[in-house]
Amino acid sequence: MKITKWISGALTAVTMVAAATAARAEGGTLVMLVQPEPPSLASYLSTSGPIGLMAPKIYEGLLDYDKDLQAVPSLAKSYKVSADGKTVTFNLQKGVKWHDGEPFTSADVQFTVMEVLSKIHPRGPNSFREVESIDTPDEHTAIFNLKNPAPYMLRALSGYESPMAPKHLLEGEDYRSAPLGNKPVGTGPFKFVEWKKGQYIRLDKNEDYWKEGLPKLDRIVGRFIPDASTRTAAMENGEVHYGAYGAIPNIDAVRLREMDSIGVTTDGYGMINPMALIEFDTTEPPFDDPKVRKAVSMALDRQFLIDNIWFGYGQPATSALSSNFGATGLHDAEAANYPSGPNVDEAKKLLKEAGAEDISITLDLIPYGEDWRRAGEYMKQALGDIGIKADLRYEDVPTWLKRIYADYDFDMNVNYFYQLPDPVLGVHRHYGTDQIRQGTHFVNSSRYSNPDLDALLVKGAQEPDAEKRAAIYSDVQKILGDDKPVANLFEMNFLTVYDSSLKDHDTSALGAYGSFSEAYFDK
Amino acid sequence: MTFWSLFKRNRSAVLGLVILLAIVFMAATAQLFFPEDPFRLIGKPMSSPGENGFLLGSDSLGRDVASGIAHGAKTSLLIGLMATVVAVGFGTIMGGLAGYYGGRIDDLLMRVTEMFQTIPSFIFAILLVAIMKPSIESIVIAIAVVSWPAVARLVRGEFLSLKTREFVQACHTVGMSDIRIILGEILPNCLSPIIVIGSLMVATAILIESGLAFLGLGDPNIMSWGFQIGAGRTLLRSAWWVCTFPGIAILVTVLAINLVGEGLNDALNPRLRERT
Repeated sequence: MKITKWISGALTAVTMVAAATAARAEGGTLVMLVQPEPPSLASYLSTSGPIGLMAPKIYEGLLDYDKDLQAVPSLAKSYKVSADGKTVTFNLQKGVKWHDGEPFTSADVQFTVMEVLSKIHPRGPNSFREVESIDTPDEHTAIFNLKNPAPYMLRALSGYESPMAPKHLLEGEDYRSAPLGNKPVGTGPFKFVEWKKGQYIRLDKNEDYWKEGLPKLDRIVGRFIPDASTRTAAMENGEVHYGAYGAIPNIDAVRLREMDSIGVTTDGYGMINPMALIEFDTTEPPFDDPKVRKAVSMALDRQFLIDNIWFGYGQPATSALSSNFGATGLHDAEAANYPSGPNVDEAKKLLKEAGAEDISITLDLIPYGEDWRRAGEYMKQALGDIGIKADLRYEDVPTWLKRIYADYDFDMNVNYFYQLPDPVLGVHRHYGTDQIRQGTHFVNSSRYSNPDLDALLVKGAQEPDAEKRAAIYSDVQKILGDDKPVANLFEMNFLTVYDSSLKDHDTSALGAYGSFSEAYFDK
Repeated sequence: MTFWSLFKRNRSAVLGLVILLAIVFMAATAQLFFPEDPFRLIGKPMSSPGENGFLLGSDSLGRDVASGIAHGAKTSLLIGLMATVVAVGFGTIMGGLAGYYGGRIDDLLMRVTEMFQTIPSFIFAILLVAIMKPSIESIVIAIAVVSWPAVARLVRGEFLSLKTREFVQACHTVGMSDIRIILGEILPNCLSPIIVIGSLMVATAILIESGLAFLGLGDPNIMSWGFQIGAGRTLLRSAWWVCTFPGIAILVTVLAINLVGEGLNDALNPRLRERT
């Protein structure tokens, strides 16, 4: 036991950085785990998980959301929706400055939403699909003119989901490769200082932050520690204070939970609604046949994955929508046509009908840690049982993203998607024909295209009546259950492991994707 | 004295050979004793050794650790041998040409060799595998690429000293072709050191392969000891057996190969022969 500790300690020391020696005085430095290292900090461009951990400390949205998912002011002091729901007026805060000293104005809002988020953000085109134009009568007013009412849009305005980007640094640049991507300039409580590749990202307190008296912390350091047990050791000996989104493997979190100095929670993921799933390439054999896709879904023991790899945290998927949408009536248990357990015989029969016996495919795995590798190893076995020979492929994050979302060079891909607080925001992007957007991450890489479904999705987005809306999504679930361009695996429960002296890191519904402006050390 | 009688004078070398043969036997019969795919989930996850019919326990998914070790032996030995053959073959050609022809060819080939030697070998291997995508071929190539310079330098030295001997000069005077002299006269005379360095290289290759697999750069479709340790290290505190036994397997194998290499050195090196 001691030796183990010593070894992991030594390993940690190697990757340690000077900035990480945490001083726990007033203010202090928060060291948080960022896993894996993000490809950039361009949160207006990619929703890749690790970007979401760092970027919302730098960039802010028009609104924020409190623990009960209620909107609270952020860059917008207040907003007003017109009676017909087609005009939303935002009153912006006064005296907000970008980190480079330029003033933040309504022009930035107009530019970010119309030019950046609506065009290249993975989910933006969905969130802002009804926005026709934005008027800027003065510097502190932005009026969104909508084609149809879009109540879901007001749930997608956080600094994580729709970060406001500086017009003066992006205009005229190629948004995808602009230098801003690696040197972010926002309005948030923390300023980007440096990025030591392979080691850490350092953010310092924004002294000119527009919220009086905030932020409380002096510095946030996001450290990249590729090895899971080293991350746990670093957390255990207080070298890092915060790890979310599975940075600490569940097996260790279960053990650390017993320590007084460490807290573990599943809170802070309410707006995220994560779902583990498999994406299929529906354009080429063998997965162009829905029967083959269904057979794969049927062969897998979802409870086995949850119990043995995620240590009991999660619920098997029952349909294309997370059961969390049950609260708004959108998840239809009747339409939930997923198998309750694995059925090898039935799966084999489906494959036989499809004429797809003894096929070989490559199974790509999301490169976000050991758990996914184990899941891949399990799936390889389960698929072998129904006569599908799967080769596993595990690459680095940029290569993997490019393969799945730019080159479309895959058969089936294990991944997880955030279904977010509304299907329009989190689910539509996975299935709509208009969401086949080569080069954009986390959209319809299956290239599934079904006019019937597209029509339902449009109706679902615009329908204000809850009951009618539920009926629409019930149909959506039926179609997706039959076609399965994506096979959902299980609803994930992420764990956040934190130093118990760290307070108020969870004031926002976004949890780890929040701004941390109020977080402080109580010691 | 026969080779065997020379070899067996070194007791530890004989012990090494016995262990090595046992490991080879284990690798060869893995399919017999563990007919199932070692990745197969055959029982209750995290069973401790002896529990639920697992001799050495099971890992987090219920895979048999013992089966993994037996099948992993095949991978380790295979990769070790293949990488060594490639490295020794290539190194011998480079070193032989450089040593025999000397002059500019020597300069050129040795600068290339040095270039490879200046790069830390394990880091270089990681880089190569990462570029080529982890697979058994890319791992063999990576190990061979980082291992051949040592062979090249050794062979070059041997050739340099042998080519000035009388018997080689005699060959020149009777008009033998270069290729015949190299292959028929000089090479057989420097086989002993090549065999010795080759045997030790197998051990290094096994270590590199394990290291790569531990870092997640192994072929994800092939069971190996490094993979087992890599997959088990997150469980070290709750299931020590998952990475302990493959670790012991690597230790014992590398030790055995080193002992055999030492023994070969003693038996084949004429300068050491009279010492004892």
